[in-house]
Amino acid sequence: MKKLLSISIMLLCAIMVFSTPQAEKPAEPELTGVAALAKAAEAMTHDELVQKASAEAGVFTVYGNTSRITTAVEAFGKLYGIEIASSNLKDAEIYEKLDIEINGKAKGADMVMIQDGASLKSQMLSTGNLINFVPASVKPYIDENDQNPLVQQYINKLFIWNNKDAALNITNVWQLTEPAMKGNVIFKSPELEQVNMNFLIMCTSPAWAEKLAEAYKAQYGKAIELGSYSNAGYKWVAEFLANCTFIKSDTTIAEEISQATAAGKAGLFVLSKLRSSSVLSENLTVGQYLASETGKAIEPFSGFMYPMYSMVTANASRPYTAMLFIEYLMQADGFEPWGKSIGAYSGNKSLPAKEGDLPLTVWKDCLVSEDADYILENYETVSSFVIKAL
Amino acid sequence: MPQIVLRNITKRFTKFVAVDNLDLTINDGEFITLLGPSGCGKTTTLRMIAGLETPTEGEILIDSQVVFSATKGINVPPNKRDVGFLFQNYALWPHMTVYQNIAFGLENLKWSKSDIASRVAELLALLKIEQFSKRYPSELSGGQQQRVAIARTLAPKPKVLFLDEPLSNLDAKLRLEMRTELKRLHLDTKSTFVYVTHDQLEAMTMSTRVCLMKNGLLQQYDPPLTVYNRPINLFVADFVGNPTMNFISAKATGKGSSILLEAESFKASMTTSQAPELKDAEVVIGIRPEYVCISDEPTGKAHAVIYSNMPSGMETTIRLQLGKTMLTSVIFRGVDYPVDKKVGFSFIGSDILLFDKKSERMIASGSLQLI
Amino acid sequence: MARLKDKTARMPLGNKVVMFFSKPANVILVVFFVLLCMLTLYPLLTLVSETFTVHAGREATATKQARGSFTLYSFKKLLFTLDDGGSEGFKESTSWIQFYSPLLNTMAVSITSSVIAIIFGGCVAWLVTRSNIKFKKFISTVFVFPYIMPSWTLAMFWSNFFKNVNVGPGTSNGILASVFGIMMPEWFVYGFFPISMVLGLHYAPFAYILIGGILRNMDANLEEAATILKTTRARIVSRITLPIVMPALLSTLLLVFASTMSAYAVPVFLGSPVRYYVLSTKMMSLMNTYKGQGYIIASVMIIFGVAILAINQWFTGKRKSFTTVTGKSSQISLVNLKKASWPIAVLLVIILVLLAILPLVSFALESVIIKAGDYSIENMTLDFWIGRNLSYLDQGDANGILLSPKILKALGYSLLLAVSCSVIAGTCGVLAGYGIVKRRGSFLSTAVNNLSFFPYLLPSLAFGAIYLALSTKVSFITGMFALILVGSVKYLPFASRSGISAMLQLSNEIEEAAVIVSVPWWKRMVRVIFPIQKSSFLSGYLLPFVSCMRELSLFVLLVPTSDTILTTMLMQYSEKGWDQFGNAINLLIIVVVLIINFTVNKLTGASIDKGIGG
Repeated sequence: MKKLLSISIMLLCAIMVFSTPQAEKPAEPELTGVAALAKAAEAMTHDELVQKASAEAGVFTVYGNTSRITTAVEAFGKLYGIEIASSNLKDAEIYEKLDIEINGKAKGADMVMIQDGASLKSQMLSTGNLINFVPASVKPYIDENDQNPLVQQYINKLFIWNNKDAALNITNVWQLTEPAMKGNVIFKSPELEQVNMNFLIMCTSPAWAEKLAEAYKAQYGKAIELGSYSNAGYKWVAEFLANCTFIKSDTTIAEEISQATAAGKAGLFVLSKLRSSSVLSENLTVGQYLASETGKAIEPFSGFMYPMYSMVTANASRPYTAMLFIEYLMQADGFEPWGKSIGAYSGNKSLPAKEGDLPLTVWKDCLVSEDADYILENYETVSSFVIKAL
Repeated sequence: MPQIVLRNITKRFTKFVAVDNLDLTINDGEFITLLGPSGCGKTTTLRMIAGLETPTEGEILIDSQVVFSATKGINVPPNKRDVGFLFQNYALWPHMTVYQNIAFGLENLKWSKSDIASRVAELLALLKIEQFSKRYPSELSGGQQQRVAIARTLAPKPKVLFLDEPLSNLDAKLRLEMRTELKRLHLDTKSTFVYVTHDQLEAMTMSTRVCLMKNGLLQQYDPPLTVYNRPINLFVADFVGNPTMNFISAKATGKGSSILLEAESFKASMTTSQAPELKDAEVVIGIRPEYVCISDEPTGKAHAVIYSNMPSGMETTIRLQLGKTMLTSVIFRGVDYPVDKKVGFSFIGSDILLFDKKSERMIASGSLQLI
Repeated sequence: MARLKDKTARMPLGNKVVMFFSKPANVILVVFFVLLCMLTLYPLLTLVSETFTVHAGREATATKQARGSFTLYSFKKLLFTLDDGGSEGFKESTSWIQFYSPLLNTMAVSITSSVIAIIFGGCVAWLVTRSNIKFKKFISTVFVFPYIMPSWTLAMFWSNFFKNVNVGPGTSNGILASVFGIMMPEWFVYGFFPISMVLGLHYAPFAYILIGGILRNMDANLEEAATILKTTRARIVSRITLPIVMPALLSTLLLVFASTMSAYAVPVFLGSPVRYYVLSTKMMSLMNTYKGQGYIIASVMIIFGVAILAINQWFTGKRKSFTTVTGKSSQISLVNLKKASWPIAVLLVIILVLLAILPLVSFALESVIIKAGDYSIENMTLDFWIGRNLSYLDQGDANGILLSPKILKALGYSLLLAVSCSVIAGTCGVLAGYGIVKRRGSFLSTAVNNLSFFPYLLPSLAFGAIYLALSTKVSFITGMFALILVGSVKYLPFASRSGISAMLQLSNEIEEAAVIVSVPWWKRMVRVIFPIQKSSFLSGYLLPFVSCMRELSLFVLLVPTSDTILTTMLMQYSEKGWDQFGNAINLLIIVVVLIINFTVNKLTGASIDKGIGG
C-alpha cells in the first residue's frame, strides 16, 4: 500500500511538472528569421534566388506526402549541384515530425510538400512553423486563392468504377447509398487519411448539403426526409459510409477495382493511381470522363479535390534553397514527375493538364474542395459523427 | 514369484557398446548388486530390465514371461512390468506433498481412499517419516527425501525393486545408517532388490550376490564373500576390498601342489590344491593386506622397511617397502609402528591368489611361505 | 558475554559504500538501474503527461486552450463520452466505438492468439523434446520462420491466399479461390478469426522456444517415475508435466499476450475491411488527430503490460521454480509414438510448409510477375531483382533491388542498425544477467530485473514517438544513434532474459575458482564465464538482431528519411502498391536473417531457440 501511494505521488508530481502551460507565441507584427527572408525573397528574381541558394551549405532536406517528390528533388539536386535528402511520409507523420522538430529546434526538413489544409492552418500556419513563399517568377500564373498558402498542385479523388458490369452507371451520388451498392463501394478509411475526413466534413457544409438535397430530389422525385440527421450532408455521409468497404491504400483500391473479377464495384480514390502498370485501367470508367463525353454530369459532384501545399519550414537551414525548390516545382520541369500522368494539376495555370485529362477549371467546378475554416470549426462534431459510421 | 532372466542382452549407442552380451539370472528374493566403475553399463542394464531403455539385442524374461525380445519384436512398456524404480536423484514431484507423492502410485491402481491412507501410514511409520506427511520435498533434507522416495517406490508392493545408486547423495554417516535400513527392508518386504552402485563396500555388505561389470562385460557373478576370496580375475580382485589387494609380479615354476615363485624382492613357495603345470610363467601374486603379517624378526631371508603407518583406532594400515616393491598390510587394533623401522614379514592364511599375467585370470589359490 | 555495542567496532558508512561498490555485480546493477530509469521511466512519464496536455491543432480548437496546457479533455472524450449514442444507446457512443469496443476486441484477439500460440508451439515443443517423431531437425529449423517474417506479411499472405469475390471488398480471387475454386466464408478471411490465427501463428515459434526450453531443462526422471508407477500418458501430462511446467507456461502466455496486444499491421490488414477494430488501430488513427487520446490508449496498453508483469511475478514467486537446472543430464526415454509417429510428423511438416515455406514462395512469385494475378511464365521477369532502367514501370526504383544503390544502402543501414542494437542489447543483457543473478533476492536485483523487462511492454509506436520527443530535448539523440538507442532499449528484455538464464546455469564455484587466483573481473567475464555459456549468451545477441531487422513501427518516426532502412522502405512500397518491389525486399530481409542465423549457428552453436531463456 505504501509503495503504491508513493509511486502515485511521484507520478502526479511528474505530470504536474511536465504539463506546465507554455505561453502561446504572441502574434508578431515584426517578421523574423526565415519568415523575414521569405518575405524579402518574394521580390527577388530567379537568378538572385539561385545565387542565394548556392551560398548555403549542408544537405537540403524535404518531406513530402507524395512519393514523386523524390524524383523531383533528385532532379533539382542534379540541376543545381546540391546534395539532397528526402522523406516520403504519411500526412500525419509529417505533421508529427514537424511539430516535434520545429518546437525542439532540431534539424529537420527545409521544405515540405503537405496536404490537409485544415491541419496546415491550425498547426503550422498559426504557429508560424511553416512559412509561405510565392516565387515572383510564377506569381502571375497562380490564382489569387492558391497563393497563400501556396498550392503547388491539386489532386483529385474521383468516383471510378469497374465497367465489366454494363449496368453500373453512376450519375447521382445517392446511387451509392442504395442497398444494391452495399459492400460494393470502396474507400480509404477517413481515419487513415485526413483529406478523406475533410471531404466528408465538407459534405455537411450548408452549401453542399443544399446541393445534396437537390440531387436527392432529382434522383428519387421526392423531397429528402432527414429524420434525425441535421442536414442532407449528414444523411449522405452516413449512408455512403454504411455501404463502404475500407481498404487501406488508394493504390490497392485502384488495383483491386480494376480486376476483371471486380464487376459491380465502385470506388472513390485518387485518379492518378491509374498510371500504375498494375492497374488495369481498361476495366475502369472514370465518372467525370464519362460525364464529359455524355454531357450528363454526376450530381452534385464527381468526387473531391485537395491541394498539395509547398511550404518553407521555420527551422530550415537552407531557406533560400527551399524557396528555389518551390519555384522549381511551380515550373514545367519541376512539375514533370507529376505532370506526366493524369490526376495532377499544377497551381501554375500556364501548365496544362496531361493530355487526355480534363483541365483544372473543370475540376474546380465539379468537385468538393476544402474550406479550412469550416473544417476546423466543425471537425469535432462531424468527426465524432463519422466515427460512429465507420 | 518372479525370476528375472537376461539372455544375450546388448545395448549399442551407435558405435559405443554400453552393455555387451550379458547373461544374468536373478532369483526371486535376491539382493543383487550391479557393481563397477563409472561407465561400465550397470545403470543401463538396470534401466533395460525396468523397461526405461530398449536393448539392441537379446531377451529379457520376468517371471517366465518375455518382456523384451529383439528377435520377436516384443517390448513391454515399464508400467506393465510390475516393477519399482528408485532414481538416483529421487525424482520426487516438487509440487506434491510427501503424502501425495506416496499415494500417487496407489491412486493409479484405483485403490480406495481408506486403503491408500492406511498403506501410506504404514510406509511412513516403516521409514520413520510420519511427521513430514504434509511437507513438500523442497522442505526436506536429503536423507528424508530419500526415505520418501523409498516409500513411494514400495507403496504398490512391487515384486522387484530397482535402485539406482540411491545412497550416493548422502553423507557418510547417513549412508551407513541407510545401508542397514535397506537390508532390513529387503528382508521385511521379501522382494527382489536389484541395486546399482560403484561403492564396493555397499555391494559387499548388502547383497546376496554381486555382479561385477567392466566396459559392458560381466566379470563375475557370485556371493560377496566368494567375490572377495576367490576373485575371478585381476579386475575383480582389485576392485573389491579396501585397502586394495597387493599385486606382486613373479615368475612361477611348478606342478602338483607346490609352486616356486620368484618375485623381485623375495622368493616364496606356494602350496595349493589346484596347481596347473607352470614353467617359468609370468604370474601375479595377489595378497590381501590382512594376510601380510609383520614381526620383529624376519621369516626367511626377506626384510622390509616401514614406509608409512596409519592407525585408525580399530586397525592400522602399514605400508612396507621391500626393494622396489610396496606392500600394504592391515593389522587389527591400533599399533603405532615407527617409520623406517626394519621389520620382518610373512604371509598367513590360505587365501593367497595366483593370477596369470597375460589372461589376468586366477589360476590358483593357497598359502604362501617365504624362502 | 559482552555484546558488540561498541560503535567503533561497527563498519562506518563510508566503508560500507566502498565495500558495496567493490563488487562488480553491485556496480553493474546500480548503473543499469539508473540507466533504465532514465530510458524507460522517463519516457513513460512523458507519455502519461501527454495524456493531460493540449496538443496543437484539433485539440487546441476543441478545448479552446493553448497548446501545452493542462486538460482532462482527452480523458473525458475517450473514456467517458457514453451518452452521445442517441437512439442506439451506449453502443453508438463515442467512447464505446473509440475505446471500449476495440478494448474488448483486443482482449478477445490477444487471449485467443496467445492460446493458439501456446497450444501450437507447446505441442510441437513436446513432440520435439519428448517423443521420437521424425524430421526433428527440419521441424526445429523451419518452425522459427514465421517469427522472422514481419507479421504483416503473414497477414498479407493470408489475405492473398484466401480472399475471394464473396467476402470483404470482393474484388478479386486469391490463390485458393482461383486455383481450387474454394471460396472461404467471410469470418474466415477477415476479422476476429484470421487476426487471431495469424498472430497466434506468428508467435507460436516464440512459445515453442520458451516451452521447449523448459521441457528440456525439466528432469525427465519425474515423468519416468510416474510411468513406472503405472500412470497413464494423459495423467502424466496433466498431473506431472503440466503443473511443473505451469509457471513457465504462464510466463509464455503473458509474454505473447503483451506482444499481440500492441500488434498493429495485422489487425489493420485483416480487420478494417470488415470494420473490426482493435486498440492499436484506434491508437494509430488517434495519434494522427487527437494525440492525447492516442496516448491514453498507449497508457492503457502499458497498464496491461505492467499488470501482466505483476501477475507473472506473483505466480513465479509463489512457488519456487521447479525446473532445477542441475546440469546433470539424465538419460531420458523418448515417448514412442509408434504408429502415430509418421502421420503426425507428416501432418506437422505439411503445416509448417504452409506457414513457413509457402509465404516465402509466394513472396518470390509475387516479386517476379508484371501484372497482378497472372502467374504465367510470359508475365514473369527478374527485372525487379536485377533489372536496370526500369522507368517504364513508373514506380519504385530505376533498378532491380539487388542492383539499386538506394536499396543496397538501406540494406547496409538495416544491418548496421540490427548489428549495433544486438551488440549493445546483448552485451547489456550479459552484464545485467550477471548482476541480477549474483545478487539474486536483493531489492536492486529484482528492480533491475523488472525494469529490464519493461521496455518490451511499451507499444512500439508510442515508444518511437516518445523518443522522437526526447530527441528534441537531448540534441545528440538523432539519426542513426536514435534508432540504435531505441532498438537496443526495446530489445534489451530478450537479451537480459537469456543472460539471466545463462547465468543461472552456472554454479558459483566456477567464478570463485578464478577469483581465488586473482583474476580481475573483466577477465573472468571474458575468459571464463562468457566462453562456458557462449551459446546461451550469443543467443541473446541473435534475437535482438532478428527483431531489429524486421521491426517497423518502432523506427518509423525516427528515421531521417523513409529510405534509410529496409523495413520502412518496404512499408512505403507496400503503401504505394509497388507490390513486386515490396515482395522482393520482404524476401531479401528474410533471406538475410536466415543466412546470418545459420552462419552464427554453425560457427558458435548459438541460435534463436536458445535465445529466449531456453
